[in-house]
Amino acid sequence: MAKVVPTRSEVLFLFRSLLRTARQFSDYNIREYTKRRTIDGFRQNRTLSDPDSIASAFSHGEAQLEVAKRQAVVYSLYAPKVKSIMDLKPCFDGFILFCFIL
Amino acid sequence: MAMAMARSALVKKYLRVNVGVGVGVDSSPFNAIRRRFFSEEVRTSFKSEVTDRVISVVKNFQKVDPSKVTPNANFQNDLGLDSLDSVEIVMALEEEFGFEIPDKEADKINSINLAVEFIASHPQAK
Repeated sequence: MAKVVPTRSEVLFLFRSLLRTARQFSDYNIREYTKRRTIDGFRQNRTLSDPDSIASAFSHGEAQLEVAKRQAVVYSLYAPKVKSIMDLKPCFDGFILFCFIL
Repeated sequence: MAMAMARSALVKKYLRVNVGVGVGVDSSPFNAIRRRFFSEEVRTSFKSEVTDRVISVVKNFQKVDPSKVTPNANFQNDLGLDSLDSVEIVMALEEEFGFEIPDKEADKINSINLAVEFIASHPQAK
């Protein structure tokens, strides 16, 4: 079965959509993992030249985008009550400064 | 008597508020508005602030050699980045300036100059 090979702009569009979806996760760890996984996946498949493997990597990416979109909605319903310390970093620095002044 | 007059003249000179200066230019409200909203100075200072922030975002990007980042640098030619990296940089700029860049515009941004132009002219950028 011959699949349609995606164009360059379609690939970039998928990449950008995945990164945009990754941003929507409320949990720091999931958000950063999704971002990292997207970037690593695209880097890894950068050198593909065989049309079949390009097409299958692209459709895998599209399927993952659907999963990410769905999970962003589901996780937003069960958002962690306490934020990760990584999300609080600017406040934390301010607090240390505050202690230092005292 | 003469001494008293001299003293009062001295006191008046000291107390006199200098009214003449400044009033002529700014007296009408129209001028005040023009100064407030259409000032070139304000716009250029926002633009230079945008330039600084864009440059610091690009410098913080892992693969970029910070010494190569200049206001005229092109992402692909000067900084040695590929199209995936450009997408990542544009996403980082969106986070820095707190608004979303449409895909059509984002594809066109391939140098620091273009990024600054677009962001400085965008009303939602902050």
